[in-house]
Amino acid sequence: MVSEACPDETLVEATLAGDDDAYAELTRRHKSRVFGVASRFARDAAELEDICQEVFVQAYFKLRQYRRDSPFQHWLMRITTHKCYDYLRKRQRSAFTSSIESMLESGHEPAAPESAAPHPDLERLHAALAALSTKERLVITLLELEDRSVQEIAELTGWSVANVKVRAFRARAALRKHLESRP
Amino acid sequence: MNDFDLDALFAAARAGRRDTSKAEYGFETRMLARLRSQRQAQGDTGSVWAMVSWRMIPLFAACVMALAVWHSQVAALADDAEAFNSVEHPETADLFSN
Repeated sequence: MVSEACPDETLVEATLAGDDDAYAELTRRHKSRVFGVASRFARDAAELEDICQEVFVQAYFKLRQYRRDSPFQHWLMRITTHKCYDYLRKRQRSAFTSSIESMLESGHEPAAPESAAPHPDLERLHAALAALSTKERLVITLLELEDRSVQEIAELTGWSVANVKVRAFRARAALRKHLESRP
Repeated sequence: MNDFDLDALFAAARAGRRDTSKAEYGFETRMLARLRSQRQAQGDTGSVWAMVSWRMIPLFAACVMALAVWHSQVAALADDAEAFNSVEHPETADLFSN
């Protein structure tokens, strides 16, 4: 019987036993964080929905690999990070460089909150982020926009701490250069 | 642009998190529907493989029988060659027997 008081591990066990309601409850509990991170990378609402669905579907099919040595949420965030990275890479492969202007022209929602007034500096920042390499964009978004520590990013991505630091440093330099070149 | 300006930009972007409440509405239902369709698709793929494997059983059996016949013929030829060798070259036959 699924209840809101059940710990995540119990719901995982129930899901593995074939209880879809247990997985729906797990999804309900963790979807906000997944949506929060994915919204930093998604171009529009459709892509956001797609990323989040793929995260939870992949988590379901890999649930037997969850070792329970860390909270379920950490494991889920690793999947989310990898899925966002895959989307960024796919986008770069298709040579689609999005900018806020083109998104607005095509009717897509911007990554900035819909309620907030469009801020020219933020638009510049988003355009500069879109010009970064996939790995640099992932690192700088997690570090500066999601406020994650270097250690956390290393755990989420599977890269070494030194690697994350180097990529963050390069990303900052590239961002600064991009913003200076387009005042 | 200095580090201070860049940090101020990051802070502004951090504060301006996109409102995803509309997108989150009813997400579990949509996700479970997709999950079920994928499970169904995986089940269909599994059943197709099972059907193909089942139909291939006579072919596998024929292959095994052909291999057995070929092996017995090769073994018989090897026996003949060994017998011939022991008659023609008894010294090498001793080598093999040791």
